[in-house]
This record gives sequence, structure tokens and C-alpha cells, in this order.
Amino acid sequence: MERQTPKAIDLKLFYAPADRLRLTVDEERSYITVRPVWAAPLSHPGRYLCLLDGKGEEIVMLENPHDLPPDSWQAVQTELRRRYLTAYVKRILNVRVEYGATYWLVYTDRGEREFVTQSLQENVHWFSPTHLQLIDVDGNRFEIPDIRALDLRSQMLLESVL
Amino acid sequence: MLKGETTETVESEDTPQERLLIHLESDFAADGQFGKRFLEVTATEVRVRESDGVVSFHIPVAEIKSARNEPLVGGGQLEITTQGGEIIPIITYSLTLASRFSEAARGIEQLARGEPLQINLEQKRLRCAKCGRLLPEVDGICPACIHRGRTLRRVAGYLRPYRLQAVGLALLGVLTTTLNLVPPKLQALIIDHVFSTHRNYIFLLEMAGIWLGVVVAATLVQILNGRLIAYLAGHIAADLRAAVYRAVEFLQVSYFDKKQVGAIVSRITQDTDRIWGFLVDGMPFLIANALMLMGIACVLFWINWRLTLAILAPMPIVVILSAAFWKPISQMFFRVGQKWARFHTHLNESISGIRIVKAFTRENTEFAKFQARNRELRDAGIQADTRWYTVFGAMTFFIASGGLINWVYGGWMVYRGQMSLGNFVMVNSLLGLVYGPLMWFGDLNQWFTRAMAGAERIFEVIDAEPEPHARGGIRHEIVGEVAFCDVRFGYDKSNPVLKGLTFTAKPGEMIGLVGKSGAGKSTTINLICRFYEPDAGVIRIDGIDYREIALEDLRRQIGIVPQEPFLFHGTIAENISYGRPDARFEEIVEAAKAANAHQFILAKPDGYDTVIGERGTKISGGERQRIAIARAILHDPRILILDEATSSVDVETEKQIQEALQRLVKGRTTFAIAHRLSTLRNADRLIVLEKGEIVETGTHAELMERQGVFYKLVQTQSQVTQIIEIGMV
Repeated sequence: MERQTPKAIDLKLFYAPADRLRLTVDEERSYITVRPVWAAPLSHPGRYLCLLDGKGEEIVMLENPHDLPPDSWQAVQTELRRRYLTAYVKRILNVRVEYGATYWLVYTDRGEREFVTQSLQENVHWFSPTHLQLIDVDGNRFEIPDIRALDLRSQMLLESVL
Repeated sequence: MLKGETTETVESEDTPQERLLIHLESDFAADGQFGKRFLEVTATEVRVRESDGVVSFHIPVAEIKSARNEPLVGGGQLEITTQGGEIIPIITYSLTLASRFSEAARGIEQLARGEPLQINLEQKRLRCAKCGRLLPEVDGICPACIHRGRTLRRVAGYLRPYRLQAVGLALLGVLTTTLNLVPPKLQALIIDHVFSTHRNYIFLLEMAGIWLGVVVAATLVQILNGRLIAYLAGHIAADLRAAVYRAVEFLQVSYFDKKQVGAIVSRITQDTDRIWGFLVDGMPFLIANALMLMGIACVLFWINWRLTLAILAPMPIVVILSAAFWKPISQMFFRVGQKWARFHTHLNESISGIRIVKAFTRENTEFAKFQARNRELRDAGIQADTRWYTVFGAMTFFIASGGLINWVYGGWMVYRGQMSLGNFVMVNSLLGLVYGPLMWFGDLNQWFTRAMAGAERIFEVIDAEPEPHARGGIRHEIVGEVAFCDVRFGYDKSNPVLKGLTFTAKPGEMIGLVGKSGAGKSTTINLICRFYEPDAGVIRIDGIDYREIALEDLRRQIGIVPQEPFLFHGTIAENISYGRPDARFEEIVEAAKAANAHQFILAKPDGYDTVIGERGTKISGGERQRIAIARAILHDPRILILDEATSSVDVETEKQIQEALQRLVKGRTTFAIAHRLSTLRNADRLIVLEKGEIVETGTHAELMERQGVFYKLVQTQSQVTQIIEIGMV
């Protein structure tokens, strides 16, 4: 029953058929549906990637997914982008606080988006003094990995509401 | 049902086969950018159309086996499983649209199975129809567009029982204004008729007499005013709180699923505060100040319009300044408020968790966290106050400049003999009365709006659909037959939890509900209590659709022993007789005895008068459970619900509780949920649920023999908890 934890370099991930991510370990085991999930996407971005099977059970946790063979890493990244709809804010175009609700207009890595947050106390999560996540009224996520990387105007707009 | 959905132009094919049954717009493009794509479903085909009109995917309905919403982080994707078993994700959307797409998935499945399309895709409003702002809550109110006038009228309705006092308050406002204008006039008269002429000392005394009269009258008016305000404030605040609380009590249970307790409580406390604050403090203040400004302006212009214009010249600057700085400053104070809230949260947490803090010796970490919050609070406070005093200082300059203008230009007029000294002094004193209210008017709009937003939130609760108490219904003495007929239900309409339950419990029968968590056990019980009603199908009690029975009558005859019994602050006796406050003491004792609770109650120093609940004596989980059982016994229900009544107690206590329960269930139709399957050995029949459907029914012994789902559950459990002997008779 006990299997040795496979090494990242021995994992082959690829799409087959076109929409299903498949995993072959060491050319001996195969999982037809694989779901990559970040274990701690906010505190350890880019590290600790879990690969889950069709039932949601862990196959392996990779501390450093960059060690995967390049083709596999490419496939995993495609799948991750599909599964994580978090948008990364590049620029804040406008913020207004009106009557208890905060209206945002932002430019993200996925394009421009407008959203509303209520009760900033509960819906802004700070992971460090410069890293935060905004959750809008529907539960959609907007992340700002580093406030200092924003332009000055965006920083000022952010400062004015937070 | 699907009306309003197919707004896009439908292709030329107009055959019923090609009519669009579902047409949804998603908010992600194919490449994962924000964008548009469309899901189109006809009776024969499911397709995805890109924003440029190209169909990028299509599949005949006949080839579809199932469809579902696969949750993603921050959204979802619609997945189709083909007859061949291939799973194809076809369209991605944000959480804003997820519930509509999962409803669409249900629709696709219905079509694939050849069933009639029965889904609810009613258009949810995401934006305000009037101003186009995104709504903070789907289908909620737009805080910017609330009918302030209408809301104000409704709020003013709460003044109606006190209209005499309200009118009195307004009159006192007018009187105050008038009285304030008198002393400056007296000063002018004294200066012109006594000082300038150096005679007529008697006139001075006369004027002083009048002045004294005015001061006495003003004092009386002020006292009366204050007393009236106190009276009105107290009454209106109490009335508002009572109205909201009463409305909350009768809200549907589903309302409490969506809102946090804190948010509801804040409506009863904070929002009502804002409203009465506005009604009692704001409105009279507003009226008095508006009157005063008008009065002073009239008098000033009457004395000397040229001087008045000169003096008022800096006024626009004051108004502009206060309007310009109001927002940033109020935001800063808002921030201070937020920092306070953060500070409170931490303080609360660390003090209520002080034992854990000590046990893990995390005092220093907690202090560091505390200090961080404390510093944040300090800095925010300093920043806001610094800005406030700076702006306030600047205002003072402009206000002072009004006086200076009066001295220069007015003084010149007096020097030239164009104006009397008395009038000059009068203008000076009136000026002192003008600028205060002026600065205040800048905030008025925001203040008013905030109060109206609070009112709207309160009215939202008051207007929310209550439970159907008012609908009435027949009175029915329940015998005890409970029948589920093809009952379907989901908390989120797109995600059914019960998928067509059908069973009948005979009067007096004990039914055990078994299944993994999420199978639908608690939901079944919620439906029996009619906290929710079935989406489809019927629940009959003694053959009557239970929606026809008056809700109050139904609940009176249902008793619950919940998983974590909630006991109110009060004595043990009061808690046991909660459902029947008129019970005699002997009856309470009898119920406690039947619940195996009598003994431990007597062991408490105050016996049945021991105060429990928050701030009361601590009692153990098993004791709590038995008090709840006694409460149910005394309530004497026809239908009894036991929700995991023996979880988290030791074996000895469990035995005592079991005994008590056996006495309790006698002669009542009972539905019991238990994690420890052994506790259901006494049940007449077990119903095994899996994913909202009944997979097995039968007695404990029968099901064990069948070696099906129940058998497996028992096996797993006996592996996990070998201490508990499972009765495999």
C-alpha cells in the first residue's frame, strides 16, 4: 500500500482528451482526471501545489511545482488559470464610497472590471501590510499582491478607502 | 419562467425545435479574460456563441448524459458529460452568475432526459435600474437611489403618535430664533439712544429689563425644548426598535441563513439610533438653524444691504471649503471607525480566548498584535484630527474676516454718518450667529442620506416577507401520520438537496434518518418543522397538506431536541417550562424526572432555581441535553424531532439520555438523526439517505442483513469507534 512519494520530475501531466488534465507517474500509474490546487495560494504563492484525483484525494503535493518537466508545468499552468478566476489588480481606475458600499473600477490581468464590496472590515483580507485581497458582494476575488507596485494614483485611491 | 431571457435576436430558424429555451450571457471570454460569451440551449442542441457571433461549440442534446456546475475558485464552469462518458467544460463564469448557470445545467439535464423544462432563470438585477450602479446585494436596494422623500415620510410616520409634541418642538424652534434676534436689537437701541446721546438712563434700564425678560424666556424655552427632545427621543427609539424586533421574530428562517446575526442586531440597534437621532436631533436643529439664517439675513439686509453684501462676500468660500473638505475628512473619521472595529475584534478575541493564549504562552505574540492595531488606531486618529483642526482653523480665518470687513467697511460708514453706531454693533452681534450654522449645512446632505439609508435598511427588514403566520389556516389536532410525497427542496434553488423523497411515518412510529453528512437528514427535519417549504411535492400530516394547517398550530405540536440545545438565560425551571409557561411546578419536576435530569438538578445549590445560560451557572453538555429533553417532554408534542441528541456525551450519560428518550418517544411520531448508528436500534424503521434520495428503508436488523449502504456505514463506524458497541443482534 505504501508508495514512495513521486518526484516532480517523474510526473507527466498532459491534456487527453483536450479538456481533461491527465497524470502519469513514472510511466506506471495513471490518473485520468487531475485537479491542481494551491495549498496556500496567498501566503506561499507559487509553492505547495497539490494534485488531486477525480475524487478530490491528494495524489501528491509539490513544494516547488517549477520542478515539473516543462511540458507538464505548462499544462498545469493552463489548468490553473482555468480554475483560479482570481483577477490581479494592475491599476485602480476609480473607487467611490457611497452610503456604506464601495464601488470599484479596476484594470486587472483579465481586463477591466467593475465591482462592489460591502463592509470592508470583513471583505478585505490583508496577508501582509502590502498584500491584500478584496472579495466582492458575490464572492469574486481580486488580489493586489503588492500595493507598492501599483501606480501612485491607484495607491492614493486605495489609501483613501482602506 | 424563461420570459425576458431570449432578448437577443433568434436565428432565422423559427421552428419549435430551434427556439432558444435558455440564453445566458457569461462574463468570461474563452481566453480567460473578462468578456462575453453566450450559452444557448434549444430543444435539440446546446451551443456556445462567442461575442462576435461565431458558434465555438455545439453538441446535440441527444448526446448529453448529464450537465453540472463545476465550482472553480471565484466562479464556475458548466460541464457536460456525454453519453460516451467524456466530460467537456464548455463555458466559464464568475460567482455572480454561478447560480443561474447551475440552474441552466439542471435545465439541460431535463431536456436530455426528455422531461419538460422546469427551471427558474428569472433575471436577477445586478445593477440599479435608475442610476446604473452595481447593487450591493443582488435584487437589493440601491443605496444611492432610495426614495429619500418617501422614506422620510414613512419615518415621519413614527412621529404621528407624538404629533402634539412634534409641533411643539417646531414652535419652540421658531421661538428660539426670534428670541435670539432680540438682544442685538436691544444693544443697538441702547447704543443709539443712551450712549451716543449721553442721556436717557431710564431707557437703558427699560431695555435691560426687556433683555432680562428675553434671557429668562430663552432659558425656559431651552429647558422645555430639551425636555421635549428627551421625551420624543426615548419614545421614538423604543417604538422603532420594537417594530424591527417584532418583524425580525417573524422573518423566514431562510433570512437568517443569508444574514449574519451581527448584521441583524446592528439594524435593531445602530440603524434605529441613526433614525431617531435624525428625527429628534437633526430635524429640529435643521429647522431652527434654517429659520435663524433666514431671519438674520432679512434683518441684516434691512439694516444695510451694502454692508451685508460686503460681509457675506467670504461666505461662498466657507461653504465651498466645508463642502470640499467634508468628504476626505469624513473618510478619515470613517477610517478611524474601522480601525476601532479592528481593534475591538482583536481585543474581544484575545480576552475571550485568554485561556488558550496562556496555555500556549502566546502573551507576547498577542501583545505584538495588539500593539500593531493600537498603533494603527493612534495614527489614523492623529491624521484625522490633524486635518480637521487645520481645516477648522482655516474656516475660522474666513469667519473672522467677516468681522474685519464689518469693522473696516461698516466702521467707515459709521465714520461718514451713513450708519448709526447701534446698527453697527447689531450687525456685529448678528454675524456671530451666522457662521456656525453655515458650516454645518455642508454636512447636511450626507447626514440626511445616511439616516435615510439606515431607515431603508430597517424597512427592508420590516417589509421582508414574514412566515405565513398571517395566512391563517385550519386548526388540527395532530394524530401523527407524516407523509412525504415526492418532496424536492434546495436551499439554493439551483442545487437540490432533497430529490424526490417519498415515505410515510405512521402515528407513533419512530423513524431513524441515516446517511453521511450532506445526505439531507437535517433538511428533511427542517421541512417537517416547516422552517422551509418544499419546492415541489407535498408533505401531508394526517392526510392534510401541512401548508393548510395554521403554522402556529403546527409548531405547537412539534417538539425538538436539537443537537446543541439552546437554553435561555433563566432558571432551570423556566427553561424546562419554556414551551408551557403555565405548567405547575409538579409537572416540571415530573418532566425532569422522565428526562433523568431530576437528580443532577437537585445537586445544584439552588435546585430548579439555578440560573443557567449566558452568565449563569455552567452546566455540562449532557445536563444541557437532558434539560432540553425535559423541555420537550413538558411541551408534549405529537411529532418529535431528535437531532443527534446523544452526540458528544460520555457513555454513562448517553445511557441516561437514551432512557429518557425512550420515555419521551412513546406514543409520538418521532424522527431521529444520530451519528452513532447504535442509538437508532430502537427505531421502528430506518430511512437511509444518500445525496438527497432514499436508498434503503427497513429495521436495523433487516438492513444489517441486507448488507447494503447502511451495513457499510455501520462497518465503517465500528472501525472508527470500537469503544461503542454496535448492536449486531
